Amino acid sequence: MASHSDNVVGQSFRQAMAWLHTWFGLVLGFVLMAAFFFGALSVFDREFDRWAIPSTRFEPQPMPSYERILRPAFERMQPTRQAVDAMRPRVEGEMPARFDTVGSWSAYTTHRDPVLALFAGYQVPNAKDPDELIWADATIDPRDGTPLPDDSLKVGSGFFYPMHYSLTLDWKNLGIWIVGLSALVMLAALVSGVVMHRKLFREIFTFRPGKGGLRSVLDLHNLTGVVALPFHFFFAFTGLLIFSAAYFFPVGHTQLHDLHDLHAEVEARELGLPHKRAGVPAGLADVDAMVADAQRRWEARGMAGDVGFLVLQHVGDANGYVSVYRAGTDRIALVGQGIHYKASSGELIREDPVATPVGKVAEFLTGLHLQHFRHWLLRWLYVLGGLLGAVCIATGFVFFVEKRKRQHAKQGSQGARIVDALAVTTVTGMVLAALGILVANRLLPLDLPARGDWERYAFWAVWALALVHAGLRSAPVARGLSNPAWREQCWAIVALALAAVALNWISTGDHLLRTIGAGYWPVAGVDLALLATAAVAGATATALRRRATAARNAPVATRRGETAHA
Amino acid sequence: MHDGVYAGWLLAAALLTSVAGMGWLALAMQVHGRQVWGQPASVGDARLLRLLGASALATALLLCLLVDHATMAVLVWVMSLAAAAVLVAFTLAWRAHWLGALAPWVRARAGRAG
Repeated sequence: MASHSDNVVGQSFRQAMAWLHTWFGLVLGFVLMAAFFFGALSVFDREFDRWAIPSTRFEPQPMPSYERILRPAFERMQPTRQAVDAMRPRVEGEMPARFDTVGSWSAYTTHRDPVLALFAGYQVPNAKDPDELIWADATIDPRDGTPLPDDSLKVGSGFFYPMHYSLTLDWKNLGIWIVGLSALVMLAALVSGVVMHRKLFREIFTFRPGKGGLRSVLDLHNLTGVVALPFHFFFAFTGLLIFSAAYFFPVGHTQLHDLHDLHAEVEARELGLPHKRAGVPAGLADVDAMVADAQRRWEARGMAGDVGFLVLQHVGDANGYVSVYRAGTDRIALVGQGIHYKASSGELIREDPVATPVGKVAEFLTGLHLQHFRHWLLRWLYVLGGLLGAVCIATGFVFFVEKRKRQHAKQGSQGARIVDALAVTTVTGMVLAALGILVANRLLPLDLPARGDWERYAFWAVWALALVHAGLRSAPVARGLSNPAWREQCWAIVALALAAVALNWISTGDHLLRTIGAGYWPVAGVDLALLATAAVAGATATALRRRATAARNAPVATRRGETAHA
Repeated sequence: MHDGVYAGWLLAAALLTSVAGMGWLALAMQVHGRQVWGQPASVGDARLLRLLGASALATALLLCLLVDHATMAVLVWVMSLAAAAVLVAFTLAWRAHWLGALAPWVRARAGRAG
């Protein structure tokens, strides 16, 4: 009797999990698909940047000399008009024409960056929050300091990467909150999926494409979910961690402002790194000598390395200091081993101690996700993990639709039809949109004003077209058949991917023979990936056509009675 | 230890060992043994295959540790296991008998028995 009731409880628990998995997965699967797909592309964000901005196709450069390159570039920087306008409501009175009180100047680079990103924060007179800085950023060629035009869009790090974590919905950080919530839901979907899947290990190698219908879709869903389970779990988890560190835990900043300020001051006093300007002007000692000294100290610790991050705080003030951080190329970390110098004299203030165990875990977890390390194999394995996640979600959609569409057809419901059209848009439509921005990037004239905005519009226009197309072609789903839009959009992917490769060749002269011959893998890699995409999409379209023909000729009865799942 | 070519060979070896390890683990399972040989491996063979599989996966981890800092090596290993599992699953789906090459002695014995 007891075992019987246990069984009943087990059954209903499993059913509850199935309900959760199905509906949460369906609703937020659309967001997760974008997070996975654009996350996979972001693994090679710098390489997409090279492809999209041909003037930056040269070898990665080390951090350049401060005196020769960085100082003149920093001195040229000023916030954009948009940044000034955005700040205006948070200031009493007028905004100044120029910002001269520098809060911080910094430069960031990795082993994959030919160009160097610069950031400058300025104090704003009469700001309602005196600690709030106004920011400017710039990208320069570190060999001679030439700035890149502001409106050339870095398609990888400036578009695919923000798509991955914010869907580029910047209004009140809405996109970041949606993606963060989806990461939480994904953890729930993973756990419920594991609970539902009774033969997790027994079926780990199971994929039966010959079985057709629902069985093969479910196999692929389980396979891609289970083999990459550690990847899915850790990326959802660490993504959530990065999100919460940035948007949830800074209650100190938003709710406990006074306490936060006090803590910052105490910490600054303990570290010897001033929190505020002294208000006394002071000169700047030789920054290049400080950098050289920092590199000597890393070498003495047995971890010689390159500079990843250089920061000048309170520039021109007696409290000013210079921090030099080592690039985390050979570690699962972004940067580290910071060494700090007094700006006016160049004397050493402090060397950051070895991280505490907790600090090390935090560093590992964020470094694992943000991956600024040098390891090409691991990069590709991350792409594989991301794509497996995308396949897992896509097959989840297909399973949802396939399971219901005949029943819906009988009842005259349009539910499966709508979900199917959305699934087409999210799966093939997303690939098309990503290809659309690459094609637009190569087609638009170089001197077009606000060129980057037009590239973004092309992305959204292609995606919207994919939605319209999927909707218009979805009528067969309501009759229990499959949507021809899947097949047609696969062919569109083939066309756009080949067009992107051809346009890169025509507009820059960099065809594959040349880029591979010269060993310039950032561009050759993107081109090869585009060709591979075309090949996979072509093969899929062919297989879909074969299946559609077979389905039309086969009696419906043979495709019944497959699985009872979800 | 991160010297270009040498590290590359070690990582290639780690990937191959992962694939072989996952292949042996799959062959030890009744359903996949049937796909490859038409009948599952005997109890003794299955035990041997599981042992081989587990040691191969451990060897792959060691190879990864030889190349990279431990924090990175663990990630490479876990991801290589995922890649290997997908490869083995797809091989079983379309070219199951290829996996038999990982354990030629099993087929020989099955041939004698049949």
